Amino acid sequence: MTLTAEARATRTPASPSPMRRRRKAAETRAGYAFLAPWLLGFVLLTAGPMIASLYLAFTNYNLFTSPEWVGIENFQRLFQDPNYIQAWKVTALYALIGTPLKLVSALAVAMLLNNSHRGQGFYRSAFYAPSLIGASVSIAIVWKAMFIDNGIVDRAGQTLGLPAGGWVGDPGRTLPMLILLTIWQFGAPMVIFLAGLKQIPTELYEAASVDGAGPVRKFLKITLPMLSPVLFFNLLLETIHAFQIFASAFIISSGTGGPARSTLFYTLYLYFRGFRDFQMGYASAMAWVLVLVVGAISFVMFRTQNRWVHYSGESK
Amino acid sequence: MKRSVLTATGMAVVAALGLAACSGSGNGGDAAPSAGGTADTTPVTLNFTWWGNDDRAARYNEALELFNEEYPHITVNGTFAAFPDYWTQRSTEAAGRNLPDVMQFDLSYLREFNQSGQLLDLQEHIDSGAIDLSGFDETLVESGVLDGKTIGIPTSTNTLGMFVNPNLLEQTGVEFPDAETYTYDEYNEFIASVAAAGQSTAEGYQIYGAGDYTATFWFFVQYLLQKGITPFEEDGTLGFDEDDVVEYLEMTADLRANKAVYPVERGVALKPLGGFTVNESASEISWDNFLAGYVADSGTENIEITQIPSVEPGEKALFFKPSMLYSIGANTEHPEAAATLVNFLLTDPEVGRIFGTSKGVPADEEQRAAVETEEGSVDAKVIAYEEAVAEEVTETTPIPVKGFGTIEAKWLELGENLNYGTITPEQFASEWFAEAEMATM
Repeated sequence: MTLTAEARATRTPASPSPMRRRRKAAETRAGYAFLAPWLLGFVLLTAGPMIASLYLAFTNYNLFTSPEWVGIENFQRLFQDPNYIQAWKVTALYALIGTPLKLVSALAVAMLLNNSHRGQGFYRSAFYAPSLIGASVSIAIVWKAMFIDNGIVDRAGQTLGLPAGGWVGDPGRTLPMLILLTIWQFGAPMVIFLAGLKQIPTELYEAASVDGAGPVRKFLKITLPMLSPVLFFNLLLETIHAFQIFASAFIISSGTGGPARSTLFYTLYLYFRGFRDFQMGYASAMAWVLVLVVGAISFVMFRTQNRWVHYSGESK
Repeated sequence: MKRSVLTATGMAVVAALGLAACSGSGNGGDAAPSAGGTADTTPVTLNFTWWGNDDRAARYNEALELFNEEYPHITVNGTFAAFPDYWTQRSTEAAGRNLPDVMQFDLSYLREFNQSGQLLDLQEHIDSGAIDLSGFDETLVESGVLDGKTIGIPTSTNTLGMFVNPNLLEQTGVEFPDAETYTYDEYNEFIASVAAAGQSTAEGYQIYGAGDYTATFWFFVQYLLQKGITPFEEDGTLGFDEDDVVEYLEMTADLRANKAVYPVERGVALKPLGGFTVNESASEISWDNFLAGYVADSGTENIEITQIPSVEPGEKALFFKPSMLYSIGANTEHPEAAATLVNFLLTDPEVGRIFGTSKGVPADEEQRAAVETEEGSVDAKVIAYEEAVAEEVTETTPIPVKGFGTIEAKWLELGENLNYGTITPEQFASEWFAEAEMATM
């Protein structure tokens, strides 16, 4: 849309008539008018509060009395706080293990659905459904009920010889439980993978078949390279997403980050600090460290992408 | 939708005008408001919020209906939440100077909210008679006074008690120690023998004597009082040190090591219920007003309440904790109507009957008298208990330090970790004090 508009604009003659200029100005005004709701929301609800929190990060603020400037004290405290270190450990583990597994399962399902079969539309919707409802509170509650002792997963596990007792109360099994939940919500990246797979020219596969390449070789030499831009996009998005986990962990741990701090995710701990302990300055400092770290991770990903991401058509 | 917004705005404007007129006439000299409120009947809408479960909500709705019959011009919007969420909501509102007109309040958060004058000084309305405290014990009213301002009035009192499930005792064949004289050691022996009995419930879960009681901060406060230590000093500092904490936590170290206390894994999974409420744990220390909730959750009427153990035999050093205060947001536009509601909830005998002892034993004399004490009922048991231990109540209420809510939550969290074996009592103490130092400053 915008691209064609720009293209048309560049084609206009170099000496615009006053009439045209007026129309252009009107168009600009209309453009801003349409943009206004979003812009207002952005300034008032996102940018403004972010700047405020940057200031608060350097203060001692308990919501009741005015903020009091303390310099970098909040940031110094972060690294002496055992719970803060624990929050990073839990979150990093979740992102490092959960994200790749989620992408692998999304790609696998996308490849299965890429073949033409009868009722394929139904399967696509069916596999996408968990992602639509996955972030909701109700699914977290259902998940908890499934993994609780004597719940369905616990009973199934017992017949397979796993120790009884449920996952919810076992600090060693709560993180795997949440990782399973995120893997199950592979729908969004799957749809993007599926679109990417459709873009790969079939001639490439046909040519490879003629040359005698097997399915594994085709996957490694054609599918993966051709899909790498989509893979990069999904990896970036899902990594950022992983750092934002909150609702499911909050509900499954009954709002405690337990048992034994095993689900004390970064955002959860931030919330506790801000709203349970009334330490808004400390919570703001935490938020800004998270922004910086996620920003740094994204930066590194972008910088390394030309080593493995292949954009067809731009090379040569 | 639109119309209701308009009506509400209109009503608010009218109400504001009405109040202005009212205060004008008050200055005129004929200020004779009865306990029933002023004669002003301009429609007013109040926001009222409390924490609690469905059971409490049903009781509040009943009480508010009564209120509406008597004061048809005052509409009350009642909302409620669970205790932890309740405070995140209130603190956010406080930051925006947007607190509800009337709130149920807890002693442990009074100091925080008082810091910037968020709560209305009720003294004016007590003096005018709008809030009638003639049926209240004076020391109890004082517990809601901070820096010379009455910012909360307790509805009732609680004291700690020991809840026992006789069905489980019978099944395991273990006898409960002599409630008048037993010490923590004897209580620990009892817990160990219930676990050793090796009995299970119908669903196949093992029966235990109790959970690890050291994981609750208020019980530690009670223990300190029994040892003669003042938990909170006048100047807002703590009256105990890390050694006291470690010594307390070590009391149940053997029980934890031998897995004789209720398993924390199952306790965590059961939240918000617990071992006692699912009839798998034979005893539990708690506030005496919990009996109504315990009976409702566990599905058995057969729960007894008796005395807690002590450090020295018979020296219980109990205290009455003022519970469920009512406060009015300083930002309210209808202080008179809010005071009328507070007065109604605090003193109306019918409200006393509706709530029984579910908020604690009512502070108001008439409400206390209105509680139905049918033989064997929950309310009768709680009132009988408070009467029985009245002589043991020798301590004044320890007024919580600032940041109490935080350090209480921290204690619970560390107690859980202690039971999972991820920290030692020494680590517990040092981590807790690090947190307390930040929270109370």
